[in-house]
Amino acid sequence: MTATASVAVSADRLTRRVAWLATSPSLRLAARRLLIAVPVLWGVSALTFVVMSVLPGNAAQQLLGAQATPAQVHQLELQLGLDKPAWLRYGDWLGGVVTGNLGKSIASGQSVTAIIGLRLPVTLELVVYALVVSLALAVPVALLAAHRPGGLADRLSMGISMAGLSVANYVLALVLVIVLAVYLPVFPAIGFVPLGEDVGANLRSLTLPALAIGLPLAGFYTRLLRADIADQMQEDYVVTARAKGVGPWQVLVRHALRNSLFGLLTIVGVNLGTLIGATVIIEQIFALPGIGQAFIQAINNRDVPLIEAIVLVLASAVVLANLLTDILYAVLDPRIRYGQRPD
Amino acid sequence: MANVPTDERLSLGLEPTEDTPAAARAGSWRGHLDVGIPAAIIVLLFAACFVWPALFPLPKPVGGNIFDANLRPLSPGHILGTDTVGNDVLSRLLYGGRTSLETALAVNLIGLILGGTIGALAGYLGGAVDAIAMRGLDVLIAFPALVLALAIADSLGPGQGHTILALCFFAVPIFARNARAATLRLRELTFMTAARLCGTRTWRMLVRHIAPNILPQLITFGLLSMGAIMVIEGALSFLGLGVPLPDPSWGNMIFQGQQSISATPLLVLFPSAFLFVSVLAFNLFGDALRARWNLR
Repeated sequence: MTATASVAVSADRLTRRVAWLATSPSLRLAARRLLIAVPVLWGVSALTFVVMSVLPGNAAQQLLGAQATPAQVHQLELQLGLDKPAWLRYGDWLGGVVTGNLGKSIASGQSVTAIIGLRLPVTLELVVYALVVSLALAVPVALLAAHRPGGLADRLSMGISMAGLSVANYVLALVLVIVLAVYLPVFPAIGFVPLGEDVGANLRSLTLPALAIGLPLAGFYTRLLRADIADQMQEDYVVTARAKGVGPWQVLVRHALRNSLFGLLTIVGVNLGTLIGATVIIEQIFALPGIGQAFIQAINNRDVPLIEAIVLVLASAVVLANLLTDILYAVLDPRIRYGQRPD
Repeated sequence: MANVPTDERLSLGLEPTEDTPAAARAGSWRGHLDVGIPAAIIVLLFAACFVWPALFPLPKPVGGNIFDANLRPLSPGHILGTDTVGNDVLSRLLYGGRTSLETALAVNLIGLILGGTIGALAGYLGGAVDAIAMRGLDVLIAFPALVLALAIADSLGPGQGHTILALCFFAVPIFARNARAATLRLRELTFMTAARLCGTRTWRMLVRHIAPNILPQLITFGLLSMGAIMVIEGALSFLGLGVPLPDPSWGNMIFQGQQSISATPLLVLFPSAFLFVSVLAFNLFGDALRARWNLR
């Protein structure tokens, strides 16, 4: 075979590959979801702008404080461009976003992208840590509970997980502070050490916040996974496996858990957005320099460009998490790929 | 699968079928404990918060004497002691519970009625109505509740009514989404087609055929969301956006106690315990009803 022929063959294969991808149900699903996401994000940004411009007070007043004279406030308003009508300011901002420019923070003058780049990693690290804590607890406990339905381990773990998911994360945070920072000073009560400085100290400073978010989540995931595994155990393929002489743990882990993880994956994905929202209050309690803390400061300062950017980050997290879950689901499970879309 | 006898299911490592606990349940009070215990706790909570202060005189929850501040529990006249400004803790717990329960109840009722109607209409009518309503709700769901809560507290002033309003923006879309999903499942059933073929009007379809069938799902969801709303109300207090001090709510009591947490941890633990028990009771009640009505 000559070289040109093999090139032609591989080019042909490539076009076929592309054509196959274009008809791939998971990709089409992704594209459709992405198209829906754009107007939703636009709506969120417009709503934020409306809310912020209806609110009494603006950044100029907030920055100058209560003692400022109206003339001073007006001066700063002119300087910051706050005298322009709201729709014009929104148009300017939207034009910037489309070209990838999120603008500058009014309060600090820093670029909004830089602030978010500094704050977002802290929040993401906290979320990942909390997810690891919750899943590391939920999977083994759910397996132990499902191993003998109605047994002691099952009833005990279901009771504890119900109690766990009923605790408010801020209450748990305070209890953890009382026990593990005040009475037994194992972990710091507040403060944050960046990951780049000292990995051990960084993890220590994030442990209590991650436990406060992760433990209630673990209760939630345990109950879901346990219920899903119980459903799987009723399926014919489990009976077949048992009849072939596969051991009970083997059936549980290799057969039932594998199928149940799909359900868990969906819930984890759908919850990711809420989880990032939950960090706002936890960051406040533990004084962590994450995106939630920046959000509260920005709201107090009426720092509209920063508020808009953070709202967009939070809303995109919700939308993207849902999207990724759908796609991952379709990629992993052929039954969904060729059937209706999961809802 | 359902006709495998119970003993064999157990030896196969399968769960016994649903009819076993139901059979055990029939005619025995023990079978009703899953619903009974949480229901009893909820009734007790409501009675303690709404009836007790009316029947037995309690010190006022606000305006305590600063010279009585930080009394220990079991002090004369103050069973659970006083807080850092001298208010009776028990009285604040009960009146605060009133605020928390009222807020959660109001938000959930509004969510159930308004969200339920929107969701059922969107699901039943389908087409453009559905698409527009759902995109609007998507925006509200993706919109951080915090911004709205702040906007409302800032422009209308903090207060219980405004907290309820802010939380409704959060609850209504979620109820609507639930109601829509339930209506979609219902819409294709034969009895719905039959009713439509009889020329039943839309409002009658909604009231007589859809509402009774999606209500169990919405009620169990509402019970689970009672706890969630009480927790969020507390979270708003942490940011100074909830029910304003000195009026008590469990959320703002926790927030107030947090400021002196190492000296007087009980001021945090008492309202936390009440909040925890009520959230747990609502969750257990919702869960038991869901299991009983075979909902997912």
